[in-house]
Amino acid sequence: MFKDLDPILHSQLRLAVMSLLISVKEAEFTFLKEKANATAGNLSVQIQKLKEAGYIEVIKQFKDNYPQTICKITSIGIKAFEEYVKNLQVYLTQK
Amino acid sequence: MEQEKKLTEQESLHLITMMINKAKESYHDTGIGAIMWGTVIAICSLVRLSEVQFDYKLPFDIYLLTLVAIIPQIFISIKEKKERKVKSYDDPYLDYIWLGFGICIFLLIYISNNIFGEWGSWANEYKNITGRSASFRFNEYVAPLFLMLYGLPTFITGAACKFKPMLWGGIFCWICCIVAIYTSIKIDLLLTAASAILAWLVPGIIMEKEYRMYKKEQAQLNV
Repeated sequence: MFKDLDPILHSQLRLAVMSLLISVKEAEFTFLKEKANATAGNLSVQIQKLKEAGYIEVIKQFKDNYPQTICKITSIGIKAFEEYVKNLQVYLTQK
Repeated sequence: MEQEKKLTEQESLHLITMMINKAKESYHDTGIGAIMWGTVIAICSLVRLSEVQFDYKLPFDIYLLTLVAIIPQIFISIKEKKERKVKSYDDPYLDYIWLGFGICIFLLIYISNNIFGEWGSWANEYKNITGRSASFRFNEYVAPLFLMLYGLPTFITGAACKFKPMLWGGIFCWICCIVAIYTSIKIDLLLTAASAILAWLVPGIIMEKEYRMYKKEQAQLNV
């Protein structure tokens, strides 16, 4: 059982988004969609959940008259991600 | 990607590794700026070499081409920034390093022109009094200073972006810098052209090729 694992992060798409955002300063929604191979609707829902948890910051703006969504990982998100990886490693070594 | 799929611990780790690698691979410079600067500096050095070799003078200073090249560089930078879907942590630092490099180059030109102006008149006076030319020629020592500066941002960019052609290009500039201390101005100009080609033009062409391949792959994925 994944008792110690953060339920917010222990979801395939949310974990993919967090893994992408941990490596970069900020990324556009389209970049996350393309790299995570997700649908726009599903990704929007998961991004909203990560935002509500305070793990990511979402900036909505206009670029060349088109709406643009930028996502950034927050310090809380970095801490949660590091904790998740640490717990995962502990789990794997104990197994 | 199905959001509800249950993940095992191995799958989680695999997903994290895969996504981190995907994010790392997503940085693709168009290489156009590097190609342009490599070409411009190589042309300037080779034209100046031909001026020295064949003893003629163009009606304008060929190095003014570097000032003209700033204009397309501004447009290239704006276009690349607009097209970029992701910003890495290194981006602002690299931008500042290249900006600082540009400022240093223009300061070095300003300093060397001033010193050369002063030193030139002293050397002429020395020749008038003693009848011998001064053994120290200031202009012979300018090229190593430029080569030293060329190497720095190139080496840092190559290291930060894990792009070996640029990393080696930076090292090549520093090797040429050492060699240029002991060579005549003609060889110095050849070394400057070779450095510009190996440090910027060749890596730029490789970057541009990789960028085109990346774009092609993306287009195929989106079909």
